[in-house]
Formats: sequence, structure tokens, C-alpha cells
Amino acid sequence: MSSPSLSRTAARLARSARRPIARHSTPTSSSRICQKSCYHSYDHPPPPGPFGTVDRSILAAAYKHIPEHGFSLRAIGLGARDAGYPDISSSILPDGQFSLIHYHLVMQRERLAEKSQELLKDASLASVNDKVAALTWERLMGNRETIHRWQEALAIMAQPSHLPTSLAELATLSDDIWFLAGDKAVDPSWYTKRAALSMVYSSSELFMTNDTSPSFLETRKFLDRRLEEVQSVGGTIASMGQWAGFTLNAGINVLRSKGVPV
Amino acid sequence: MASSRALMASPRFVCRSCSRQARNSNPYRRSYATASSQPSSQDIYDVVCIGGGPAGLSLLTALRANPTTSRLRVALVEAQDLSKTASLSLPPTQFSNRCSSVTPTTAQYLNTIGAWRHMQRNRIQEFHEMQVWDGVTDARIEFDLQPGFSASTGNVIAYMTENLNMTSGLLKRINELGGVDVFDASRVEKITLGEESEEMDLREWPIVHLQSGKSLAARLLVGADGANSPVRSFARIESRGWDYNRHGLVATLELEGDGWGGEYHKTAYQRFLPTGPVAMLPLPGKYATLVWSTTPENAVLLKKLPAKDFIALVNAAFRLSPVDLAYMHTQATGQEEELAWRTQHTPFDSRSIPQLAVGVQEGSIASFPLKLRHADTYIGERIALVGDAAHTVHPLAGQGLNQGQGDIQSLVKAIEYAVAHGQDLGTQMSLESYNSERYAANHVLMGVCDKIHKLYSVGSGPLIPLRSLGLKAANALGPLKNFFMEQASGRGLKV
Repeated sequence: MSSPSLSRTAARLARSARRPIARHSTPTSSSRICQKSCYHSYDHPPPPGPFGTVDRSILAAAYKHIPEHGFSLRAIGLGARDAGYPDISSSILPDGQFSLIHYHLVMQRERLAEKSQELLKDASLASVNDKVAALTWERLMGNRETIHRWQEALAIMAQPSHLPTSLAELATLSDDIWFLAGDKAVDPSWYTKRAALSMVYSSSELFMTNDTSPSFLETRKFLDRRLEEVQSVGGTIASMGQWAGFTLNAGINVLRSKGVPV
Repeated sequence: MASSRALMASPRFVCRSCSRQARNSNPYRRSYATASSQPSSQDIYDVVCIGGGPAGLSLLTALRANPTTSRLRVALVEAQDLSKTASLSLPPTQFSNRCSSVTPTTAQYLNTIGAWRHMQRNRIQEFHEMQVWDGVTDARIEFDLQPGFSASTGNVIAYMTENLNMTSGLLKRINELGGVDVFDASRVEKITLGEESEEMDLREWPIVHLQSGKSLAARLLVGADGANSPVRSFARIESRGWDYNRHGLVATLELEGDGWGGEYHKTAYQRFLPTGPVAMLPLPGKYATLVWSTTPENAVLLKKLPAKDFIALVNAAFRLSPVDLAYMHTQATGQEEELAWRTQHTPFDSRSIPQLAVGVQEGSIASFPLKLRHADTYIGERIALVGDAAHTVHPLAGQGLNQGQGDIQSLVKAIEYAVAHGQDLGTQMSLESYNSERYAANHVLMGVCDKIHKLYSVGSGPLIPLRSLGLKAANALGPLKNFFMEQASGRGLKV
């Protein structure tokens, strides 16, 4: 499928987001540009993430300090000390505290992929939509430990210099969820589905930061309502498509009935 | 009698010598084009009609009644036993639940082909006024034919009659005319194309195989066999459309009186609810027929309710707000008390809504799914589709049966032309005028009904004041209203 202007918009929004079917480009150029493959490959191992080994060990250690110290340089410093590096090592992370947030996003996304096998075994999740709901909820629950610090994180993510990476990460997340849920559509709905899920996920995440209900019951309801809305909009679009097809056909049939050779 | 009239009439279409020749030739001779293929076997027909509903019966009646086509050899195939249909023997206080509105145009046609006088006149109710309103905003349009607007039809908007009364009248007329081979209570096993034999080549002719083992070869096979038409599938004509996810619930109601206008001035009522329109159409005396399109779940509930609660919900449907009504649908029982309490707190003008229903005829509550379907074409080689086989429409304007009758008029005209000009009446070319006359007209009507359904299934939002404004404006503008009424009574513009 050639990707028209839609794909350009999507690419601008999320430079490294994967497109449904991309041409095989040479490995060097591809890895240089986005450092990951542009599609989910069944034959190749996933590309390495954006973090090196040292970064990873520092950030993993720092991760434990988030509930107490937030997504801060202090947490990274403490993490570096725990990992056996000097406190100053946090300077090897060029983005500072955003690195910690980015690490959280990537790690939770990867965890989702690992967990999905077990999660989707449940027979009650019959349709793709149910699976998407379950996966989205699972991802939201990944924020459970750090949710009281998440508003700070959102503020940092919204800074102009970090925004592109944040959006790319959001796009990759919704792409992963649809992929893991087993959606294989390669029609224009590929874009609308991902855009809609990104919107639903980010608004649910924001809602969750203010949710004080036990085990985030309100967030769950909020998420279900939003997903339902998306489906009803999808249903409306589908029935409009059906109507357009019917009318087009009928137009041809009317012309034929009047003897026009079409 | 029919044949003698045919003989007298035929010189209108062919020269005298030809008609003399025709008279002297083989008694099975049916049209001038077939001189070379004299039928040697009894089961070759000019027109075989599958389906004995209003459309199919009206086609055969029209063919038999028309002097030009009365000598065609015609057959009717129907799965049900028609002898029961013919002897409509319900007492005058009982009405079948399947009723239709017959527009003056259709009634006129039924009269022309001689079926109207065979219908039981005391079971037909005309109405002179329509009240249509929006369930959400109560915006209203009143259709009331002005005296002198259309003197020829006596200010009648439409006639309500049971489908049974119509089919029974048509059957009586067919029996009177004679000459139709009726295969009733016989199912169609399959339809195939014929074979070539030494005498004739039937390879392009559809052969209808009945379960009894009989097979009928058809010069023209007419499918009047309903929405799941076997003829249509045989002709590989696709039918497109969608399901409304609504059920049409019908019932025969007994009202507290003859209606506000008395026995001689009846009114039809239709209220648009977000779940679909609900209509109460007058029948003779205190009776009325209900057509309520609603969600499948509601239809299931309504069918299960005891009579008094069912009546309460029907009365509520014309009086209470959609919210109250939705609540009453969630109650398992006790709708009667709920209605009594809620009507005290709901203001309405009782003269502009139907009188209270006090009874429902036992066993008359039934429902059927609503859908929109339109076949890609109505004709094929030796195939014609009419009525529901060609198009299925939402019942909100009561046009389904009239559309079918319009098809018949047009198809009979095409057949008559072919016969009068010595053409083979089964070829696609002979049928072309039927398709071109009806296809666009039906498509427009179906589109209008579909849009109205969609417009009024919206329960909230900016569309509602707009549609109410539209309805009020239409109500205030006399010429526009007359235009709608002409459309509804079938006297409107032809597309």
C-alpha cells in the first residue's frame, strides 16, 4: 500500500511510528533513521531500544526511587549510586529527568508485549475490541505505582523539546496494542484506529492522575465509555460508507434502467 | 365472456386479416410472435407468476382483464392454500393484523381491473386526515384535504384495508375471469433453464419445478415471491441495502369510540419516537390497526406483556415523553398503573391524538424485522421482479403495497405493448420500459422513507430543533403541504 498524505501527517506526528506495510529499505539507512523496523516482523528479533546497557542499569535502579522522589534528577542520582556508579553519572543521560520518563514508557510498553500472551489467553476476550480494552487497561495499570507523580511527568513530556519523543512513544504504544490484539487491517482504518486509541489512552491516563476511587474503578469506567464512543463513531462511519456504496450502486442502476450503457 | 371481448378488442391492435388468422389457428395460440413455436406440451406458459400476494394476484387479474393480454396462458404458483384466502370469513368485529394503506391511485387501478367490487367494502376504511408529530418536540403537521382539492376521490387520503381482503377480492375476480392455472399449496422445488428438444429450444426459458413433480416452462417468469425471492436468486440479480435493527410490531386495537371525527371522518395518526415511528390507522367502526416500529428488544417485551399492560404501553406511546416511555419499557409489569399516574402529569391535547385504546384483539400482536433492499434491476431475460422481490421499504409512509401495485401497472403495460406489437413478451427488450419507468421512482421513494427514519431516530442534539422547524414550516405552507399529500396519496409527480 502506498502511503498518501495521511502517512506524511502520521510520520510528522510520530517520526518513528510504524506504518502498516513499509518497503524493505536497506538496514543501514533504516537503522540510522529510526533505529527500529517500520513494521512488526515475525522473522526478526525486535530492534534494540533507545537505551544502552549502562543507561539501562542506572535507570532501572532509579526507577525504584520514583514513588518517593518523582521523575527527578535526585531519583536518577540515587539510582546511579545503587547501580554502583558515581552520583555524577546521571550526566551521561543527555535528557536528564526526561530519560527516566522515557525509560518508564518504553519499559511499560515492552512489559505489555511480554504480558499480552498470558493476558489474552482469557477466553472471554473474543473480539479484537475486547482485547484492545484489556491491553489498554493493563498498560494503564503499569502507571499504578507512579500515578501520584505522573502529572509532573506529563508536564515534562509536554515541553517542546521532549514532545516529539513523547508523541512517538504514544503512537508506538497504540500501534503495539492494536498489533497485539491481532488487528491485521491494512486499509485506511489503520490510521483512524491508532489515532482514536491514542486519544482514548492519553485522556484516560490524565483522568487516572485525579482518580481516587478504589483500584481505579472510575478510570476503568471512563476508559470503557471512551472506547464505546469510538466504536459508535466507527459504526456511524461504517454505515455512512455503506450508504455511500448503496447510493453509488443505485445511481448506476438508475442510469442503466434509463438505458444509459454503463 | 372475456375471450369474446378480447376478440372484439383485438382489431384495435392488429389488422383484420391477421386477427382472422389468429382466430382460426390453434386454440393454444397466445400471441402473434409465437407462431413458429406452437406448444405441444401443456406446461408451457406465457406468464408464470410465483407468489400469490397482492402483487402477484393483481398482475394476473390485470392480464386476464386486459383484452389484449387476456388470451395469454398464465399460471400462478403459491405455497399457501388459496382457497382459505379466497373465502375471507372473519366476523365484522375481527380484523387481520396485516393491513395496508391503499392510495386512491391504487384503488382506482384495482377498480379498473375489476377487483375493487369483489373486496368487502365494509372492511375498508378510508381516512381524510393525517396527524403526524415529533415525539421529542411535539412539532406537528396536520394533513387535511381541503374541500375541492381533489373532488374525484372524495377527499380521501388513503384506504385502510386488510391484505387478506385485497387478496380475497383479487382471487374472486380471477375466478370470475377464469383462465388462470392456479398451483396453490405447492412449493417451488427449483428453477432451472430448459433444454433443447426436437420440437423446440427452451434453453433460454426458465422452467419452474414444483414439488408435486410438475414443471412449468415460462416465456416470462414473474417473481412476486417476497423479500427472499427465489426468482431473484435464480436470475442472479443482487439486492442491496441494510437492516434497520428495528422490528415492525402490528396489532389490531379496539378504541373507546369511532374516532374524534365520528364514523365518517377518520384520521390516521403517526408519532415519531427515537426508537421509530408508531402509527395508528383507522379500521371500520371502533377498530384501528397499530404499526409500531421499535427495537427488537422492545418488540419481544411488547409481545410478552399481558393485554392490559400492552394497551397501556400503546396509549403511552402516543401520549408520554420518550423518557417516560423508555422507563415503562423497563418495567416487567404494572404499566397500566404507571400510565394512569403519568398521564396526570403530562399535558397533551386529547383531540389531536388517537382515542384511548381499550382492547387488543387476541393473537393479533406480531412483529417482523424492517429492512431496506433494492434489487439491482427488475428485469432479466424472461424474468421480471415485482413488489417486495424487487424492493423492500420502511413502512413509515405505508407505501410498500402501493409501490408493488405501481410495478404491476407498468409491467402490464409493457406486456400489453409487446403482445399488441407481436413481440416476444419475455425478452429483456420488451420489459425494458418497465424497469426504466419504475426503478428511479421506487429509488426516490425508498430514499425519502429511509431519510425520514434516520432523521427521526435521533433522540437529542442540534438536529431536533431543525427538524421541528422544518415540520412547522411545512405545516404553515399550504402549497408545500399539498405537495406532500399528493405524494402520499399517490397523485404526485412521476419521476
